[in-house]
Amino acid sequence: MKVELKIWRYDTSTGERALRPYEVDVTEEATLLDTLDAVRDRLDGSLAYRKSCRMMICGSCGMRVDGGAVLACKTRIADVVADGHVPVVSAMGNLPIVKDLVVDMDPFWQKMRAVQPYLEPRLDRATEKENVVAQEQMDMIHKESLCINCGCCVSECNSMESDPDFLGPAALAKGFRFVGDARDGATIDRLERYSEEHGIWDCTRCYFCNERCPKGVDPRDAIAKLGAEAMKAGIDRDMGARHAKWFVTSAKTTGWLRETELVPKTQGVVKAIKEIKFAMSLLPKGKIPLPFPPHVAADIGESRALFDLVTDQGRSGAAGIVQGEKALMHLAHHGESVDGPSHPYDDPRSFPKPYLPDEEPAT
Amino acid sequence: MGRGTAVAGCPVARRPASDRFQAMDVSFDVLVVGAGCAGMRAAIEAHDAGARVAVVSKLHPTRSHSGAAEGGINAALGNKAEDSPETHAFDTVKGSDYLGDQDAIEIFTREAPGDIYQLEGWGCVFSRNAEGKLDQRPFGAAGSPRTVYSADITGHVLIQVLYEQLQRRMSEGLVVFEEYFAFRLVEDGGRCTGVICWDLLHGGVKAVTGSATILATGGAGRLFRATTNAYACTGDGMAMALRAGLPLKDMEFMQFHPTTMYPSGILITEGCRGEGGYLLNKDGERFMKRYAPNALELASRDVVSRSETTEIEAGRGVNGSVMLDLRHLGPEKILNKLPGSRELAMTYAGVDPIFAPIPVRPGAHYHMGGVETDEWGLTPLEGLYAAGEVACVSVHGANRLGGNSLMETITFGRRAGRHAAEYALGRTAAANGRAETARADAEAWVDGLLAVEQGERPWQIRDELGQSMLENFGVFRYPDKMDRQVGIIDELRHRYGRGVVIEDKGTVFNSDLTQAIELGYLLDLAACMLQAGVVRKESRGAHSRPSDFPERDDENFMKHSITTWVDGAPQLSYREVRMTKWEPMVRSY
Repeated sequence: MKVELKIWRYDTSTGERALRPYEVDVTEEATLLDTLDAVRDRLDGSLAYRKSCRMMICGSCGMRVDGGAVLACKTRIADVVADGHVPVVSAMGNLPIVKDLVVDMDPFWQKMRAVQPYLEPRLDRATEKENVVAQEQMDMIHKESLCINCGCCVSECNSMESDPDFLGPAALAKGFRFVGDARDGATIDRLERYSEEHGIWDCTRCYFCNERCPKGVDPRDAIAKLGAEAMKAGIDRDMGARHAKWFVTSAKTTGWLRETELVPKTQGVVKAIKEIKFAMSLLPKGKIPLPFPPHVAADIGESRALFDLVTDQGRSGAAGIVQGEKALMHLAHHGESVDGPSHPYDDPRSFPKPYLPDEEPAT
Repeated sequence: MGRGTAVAGCPVARRPASDRFQAMDVSFDVLVVGAGCAGMRAAIEAHDAGARVAVVSKLHPTRSHSGAAEGGINAALGNKAEDSPETHAFDTVKGSDYLGDQDAIEIFTREAPGDIYQLEGWGCVFSRNAEGKLDQRPFGAAGSPRTVYSADITGHVLIQVLYEQLQRRMSEGLVVFEEYFAFRLVEDGGRCTGVICWDLLHGGVKAVTGSATILATGGAGRLFRATTNAYACTGDGMAMALRAGLPLKDMEFMQFHPTTMYPSGILITEGCRGEGGYLLNKDGERFMKRYAPNALELASRDVVSRSETTEIEAGRGVNGSVMLDLRHLGPEKILNKLPGSRELAMTYAGVDPIFAPIPVRPGAHYHMGGVETDEWGLTPLEGLYAAGEVACVSVHGANRLGGNSLMETITFGRRAGRHAAEYALGRTAAANGRAETARADAEAWVDGLLAVEQGERPWQIRDELGQSMLENFGVFRYPDKMDRQVGIIDELRHRYGRGVVIEDKGTVFNSDLTQAIELGYLLDLAACMLQAGVVRKESRGAHSRPSDFPERDDENFMKHSITTWVDGAPQLSYREVRMTKWEPMVRSY
């Protein structure tokens, strides 16, 4: 199969960068990584990219295809070049380029180290054998422990693009891997630390990290879980935390968002007073409803019942970060929905039914 | 930190601000080469013993191939059924086809449970049983379910927890030289005093020195075209040791894993069969019943790989493969216990194992042989240790049991780290007189490689090597094919020796250069393997000669082969197997 692609090259000795076209022959099942190998072997031995396991576990080959981060070894080239599309391959974003498709991962690892990425054992830890922990409790950090540190989420992070010091999705997901671990004894310290500037409340919730993660870690969900755990622990000094908190209070008490009170509740009264001039300009447009009497939704009972239900189910903190029953299914089945024939042998096209040599073959 | 901004799809390029490792005049107490499970475990232990430790690795530690291990790690915890280190040891001895050194195996199985509890205490994310203890699954040729696991990503969670612990120690002074490709040992007055490296990110030949050096560079699966191994598994440590005059042990024993996907060779875990998966031929017959009537699919790997190959060669395969069938396990079990295998099958074979079997065949997986060491990882060269797949203690003998390799990396990584630290702290720093000379020599050699302008590209030799090794030195070994392969290796080595063209002449991330050096290593190791294989006139474990020597010959060959490099060619000798209490018996499953 002939494949055409373009690669952003960067020559370190001259500082020159250029988009170069290539055409190579690869097999139908070839991945993007196989395609790059063919380019390097047959066309240009100076092309630089990282690779190792070629089975989506080492996290070496993160790069961008048409502006979005992927693992090259997970990407079938036939899917990318369908309908004559010529993809543009470039280095990941938000990290300095070393050469061609190779980025300097040092900033990535510095942030990882900033979240204290190791277990701080509890004082009552087991000393003879293993700590006894229920599987359901370990499931809390199932997704976060899938992370392979490839950097695809960081590459696409919008917050990091505007604030290079933002801890970012990978490091924060790592943070939740410890906050959610029943064996860790530094939960409060961690939540305090992660709640500082450049931490959990600086995420813009664009969900690009969830979308681009090749392993289903869903870093944005991990950040949401950290936020929920921080508020549960009463760590809510950050405006982001207070903002979220007011949403809950407001919805619970009136069934609506009480916008007029949102600013003082988020920023504090002193800062809110400075915003009065701006607020007054909104008043004639009807954007600032008077807080008294409060505007209460007709079926406020339902809103409160919903709140009570979530409380009764014990979904406070991270456990509350699910979006309905589908999300609960997601937890039980690690994100897969299963459709198909009730039993695989029922499908007439299926492979023969297994039998032992001393049995009759199934027909 | 720096960052790129998008301009018409191309981020602005910037070089890393500084070379963190410019000052190379530092000498460490313990130098660890390689940062997979064995290397990181050794580094942690040496650091905790009070040594100043540096880790040199051609990949970032979490990219190491230990992370691709899937099924689990063996220790006789007895959490699922009655078990003991003694049973574990017997299974390992029998699995090794009586070539494993029994004293080392006894140490191994005795210390394994403590190592597992320590990993758990560090936060390793293992799967749990109903009581909340560590769960254990059945594995091939094991007398009890003793494989501790984390779904089917056990290597990944081990690599993560070890790197977490390594990072903690990095804040206490442990140094990691990432993307440093070590390619030569430095020897000074009968002692190993460090390694010569190519700095991938910044370019340049550099010396890193230490009082003790631990090789933990992994295996050499890339000798074969169909392999589960990463591109990085090129036997660097073995080749460096060989060229420094050290003996390699049991080089002929390459394990072929029974379930690797066609054509990539990507691994599908033995855990699939541990959880109850079937192997089927094209008719749907569970053919293993005919080869291993008791253990069936859970016979040892050498037995299963031979059975599959026999089926395929008899025309009962499907496109050169047999089928791994998980359909009867049901979605719940597949999604909860084997989600990674399902993802791999869907991505690389287009098959969802819930509804259809996965085509699999044997592929090169693990090299039982390696640098000869004692039970502390010490090699015959003072100051040089080896641990993990690069080493041959020998725990695995002629055939390794699934789940024993991860355990070996931890137990013997720890032991090597401990012993190396005690050695280094108990004596004055290594003399570094030779290091600069050795560095300059290596630099001249690299310059010579880069200067070649005319000739063939290395990838042609690489592809011919991989294909011919698979055809002529695979699961079954026939005399005519082995002879042919000896000739092929000679020819490939000759072509390589004439000089290959490295197109990248630059210094920064020149993987064209490092891959050319790796190819030279692979060629040396292939020559060693072939010679040891030709001379071992018997069938034992992974070395099977069905046409001329189909039986095990304990009288003449219950001994380790020892390969040394003399005048540019491998030279063979033998050493007795160390036995404690298990006399060789007929091996059936």
